[in-house]
Amino acid sequence: MKKLHIVGIIIIAVAIGVIFVSLKNTSTYADFTEAIANPDKEYHVVGKLDKDQPQIYDPRVNADEFLFTLVDNKGIAKQVVLHKSKPQDFEKSEQIVLIGKMHGSEFHANDILMKCPSKYNDSKAQIN
Amino acid sequence: MNEIKYITERVWIGQLGHAFVILSFVTALLSCVCFYLSFKNKDFVKLARISFNLHGFSVLGIAGTLFFMLFNHYFEYQYVWQHSNTEMDMKYILSCFWEGQEGSFLLWTFWNIILGWILKYQLKNGEWEVPVMTVFALVQVFLASMLLGVYIFDYKIGTNPFLLMKEHSEFSHLPFVLAGKYESTARGLNPLLMNYWMTIHPPTLFLGFASTLVPFAFAIAALWNKQYNNWQKIALPWTYFGILILGVGILMGGAWAYEALSFGGFWAWDPVENSSLVPWLVLVAAGHTMIINKNKGGSLFTTHLLAIGSFLLVLYSTFMTRSGVLGNASVHAFTDLGMTGQLVMYVLTFVFITVALLIHNSLFRVSYIVGSLLMLAFGLIYGYKRDLLVMWVCASTIITSIAYFKYFPKEKEEEELFSREFWMFLGSLVLLLASLIITYFTSIPVLNKLFNTEYAPPKVPVYNTWITPFAIVLMLLLAGGLFLKYKKSNTKQFVKQMAVSLVLAIVFGMVCCIPLYFLNAQPINTTIITYVVLFVFSLFAIFANGYYWLSILKGNIKKSGAAIAHIGFALILLGVLVSTSKKVTISKNTADRKVSDLGEGFDDKVSILLTQGDTLPMGPYLVTYTGKEKKGINVYFKVDYLKINKNNKPEFDFTLMPMIQDNPRMGKAPEPDTKHYLDRDVYTHVTAADLNIDTITQNKGYQSAKNYVGHVGDTIYASNALVIIDSLKTNLSKEQYQKNDSLLEVTAVLKVVDAQSTSYYAYPKYIIKNNIVIPKEDELETLGLKFVFWKINPDDNTIEITLSEKVANNKDFIVMEAYIFPYINILWIGSLIMAIGTAIAIAERIRKLKVQTAKV
Repeated sequence: MKKLHIVGIIIIAVAIGVIFVSLKNTSTYADFTEAIANPDKEYHVVGKLDKDQPQIYDPRVNADEFLFTLVDNKGIAKQVVLHKSKPQDFEKSEQIVLIGKMHGSEFHANDILMKCPSKYNDSKAQIN
Repeated sequence: MNEIKYITERVWIGQLGHAFVILSFVTALLSCVCFYLSFKNKDFVKLARISFNLHGFSVLGIAGTLFFMLFNHYFEYQYVWQHSNTEMDMKYILSCFWEGQEGSFLLWTFWNIILGWILKYQLKNGEWEVPVMTVFALVQVFLASMLLGVYIFDYKIGTNPFLLMKEHSEFSHLPFVLAGKYESTARGLNPLLMNYWMTIHPPTLFLGFASTLVPFAFAIAALWNKQYNNWQKIALPWTYFGILILGVGILMGGAWAYEALSFGGFWAWDPVENSSLVPWLVLVAAGHTMIINKNKGGSLFTTHLLAIGSFLLVLYSTFMTRSGVLGNASVHAFTDLGMTGQLVMYVLTFVFITVALLIHNSLFRVSYIVGSLLMLAFGLIYGYKRDLLVMWVCASTIITSIAYFKYFPKEKEEEELFSREFWMFLGSLVLLLASLIITYFTSIPVLNKLFNTEYAPPKVPVYNTWITPFAIVLMLLLAGGLFLKYKKSNTKQFVKQMAVSLVLAIVFGMVCCIPLYFLNAQPINTTIITYVVLFVFSLFAIFANGYYWLSILKGNIKKSGAAIAHIGFALILLGVLVSTSKKVTISKNTADRKVSDLGEGFDDKVSILLTQGDTLPMGPYLVTYTGKEKKGINVYFKVDYLKINKNNKPEFDFTLMPMIQDNPRMGKAPEPDTKHYLDRDVYTHVTAADLNIDTITQNKGYQSAKNYVGHVGDTIYASNALVIIDSLKTNLSKEQYQKNDSLLEVTAVLKVVDAQSTSYYAYPKYIIKNNIVIPKEDELETLGLKFVFWKINPDDNTIEITLSEKVANNKDFIVMEAYIFPYINILWIGSLIMAIGTAIAIAERIRKLKVQTAKV
């Protein structure tokens, strides 16, 4: 069974390699302070939409650019440039996860994930 | 039905349903215990069988009751209220049944029962009946408890689908519930799920999940009575049945996502997709080591580990997708029904049973059991659950490896390098390793919880990069495997046979790869090289298996299962590779801002703005957005595609109508529309649009005016032009006006520049006559703009102008993404071929099994 043992060792080596390599390159959840400190690294920033600040989406100028302000979980607000079209029901989002990095004074995001109100809350809203 | 009936709820049916739930739990428990006891005392086996049958009938009873309630609109029940209403089409009533978690657990239990009955019949009075059915019944105990809805101390066990609205903690206090107004408020099936996929995909997938239980039950039973070698032949057809059904279920999910969801493809490495793919990969690996074991013996530990692993991974995926642990990591919506703890306990219980059975030394086993229970008790009483869990998992892993070295019978002789069993074994290990990597990536949210880390789940390209090398190795093993014989093969002959297919694959593959990968402007990098290698190797696998079938099997259908299934699998990989790596974005953004310097992942050229009536070039087409149409809650956007014909004139080709659903439950949900060709698909979906259907373009009037405050030199933005306040002219100087206040006339000179950079001038006037302001408006008819200059603020030198625009100025527009998926049909054809091949293999296995039993 020597051959199989070699195969087994290779497998363990690959598995450990994957864990280390991927952890090195994986982006982490962070707040703006951390993203500002490492402007070249990609982060997942979690926060809420600042509804008092303007949201600018003019597809006639650029259909893949949407500007708004996000307040992260520590309360720091930053101007965000999302390089995508404005997501549906953006205003209704309860929580936003942005994937991107700081560039100058703005946070440039290439993707966005939104958490919308759960259906139970929604049902209450409909009935009231 | 009138409202008065709702004053008294029909309580009896819920009580009946819950009685079935409790009966199903009790009978499953009884059956499990009796099967266990009949291991020593055969008298119990009758009682065990009867209670298993009773359990089966009570599961049918639960399903029947729930279905009856749904079908007859018993809206006073929460499950019916939540998942159906009177407005929906009755053909979706089955989808309502399994939309909720309770219903999907029920569906799973239902399939287990059907499989369990067949298995029980097949094994009756044989040596495997008692141990296998014990495990089977034990799993049913756990599944049945998912519907109990009973509190033991403070822990809630399961959720009862037969709760009245008035009993449900979420709803009981709401005014409409107290008033008994159920029918009018019923939420109904999510409109996004009202399609045939929702009718066929869940039952297929759950049948697939259910069939992983059979090899699991056999493997546990084998560990239990230490009969490692003679269950594989009985379990083989079941395992391949699971491979077939689960595979079809997963591919159906991909097809559904591609057709109806808008994440831009058929596979997004979403946790929900991964958690059904991983058990499948492990089941395929298990199926192959079982064949090795049956034909040549050996591979015992791996076979048991894989057969058990596949089912455990189904349980783990249930935990992942039902507990809310994934949170933000998935596009699928998850609601936590408060069963997280319960699901974790189930997964751990079965891991515990497996490890305990792996230990043969009874003292060692007892200490493991006692140790685990002590850790559990300590965790429940004093906390530190997380650290204890990590410790326990590590200990169990170490014990598993010790068990492998100490207790498992091993082959004396070493496998030959060129033998079918060695290649199959390698293939299984490659599948296992790929599964582990996918599981690891998918589990990052779980690992974050365990180790307090903050790692984000990886994105699609990370998965693709990691999986491609495994796919390449698999294709190589797939190509050679069947040509090799068990034990020892003639190496020279093997190389000769392989050479034909390999040369053919390289020549054909490279010819195809030139236009696909080498004729682009982009530099050749490692990614492209791995794609080319995978392309050639998939072709190699296809040619080699085709050659094997036609020349060695002489086209025999009965024995062709493996070859055909392998061709199908290779075609799937080929289709996935080409359609994904050569996916072309044809919707281009005309804005000239460059974002590529921001680094990888930034690409702002994916959306096209289509204004109603304008025709724009898009990839090989000219596209026109001609208008929208509302059907129910769906708004369809009609986009015409034109092609340049031979005479260099645009010619109508086809129309696509992507839509946005204004879903009352989930908000606006886009649904793509795709034009299918034999060699490619044109896939489009709308990302931003106005869903209001007003015939705005026909309206000749003006919209309400907007007021602007500004200095000279400021710019006002109209929807179709820029308005610059050029200067102000008066008929009198300030001094003159102060002396003689009879008439003041101030003219604002407004320079208006439209999109074509043509300049126009407008001259609205501000007139004061005898201290009364009389503004004189000015209108630019061609642009549909009207200006009124109505106020001067001397304090800060600003003026105020209102601007009205013609309604028709705001032309309707949509923002759309469009892709071409080349050769995606290879993927679907491959799926079909793999399914056919697997079905042939199952038929052959069953035939062989019958012949064997007949001989015995």
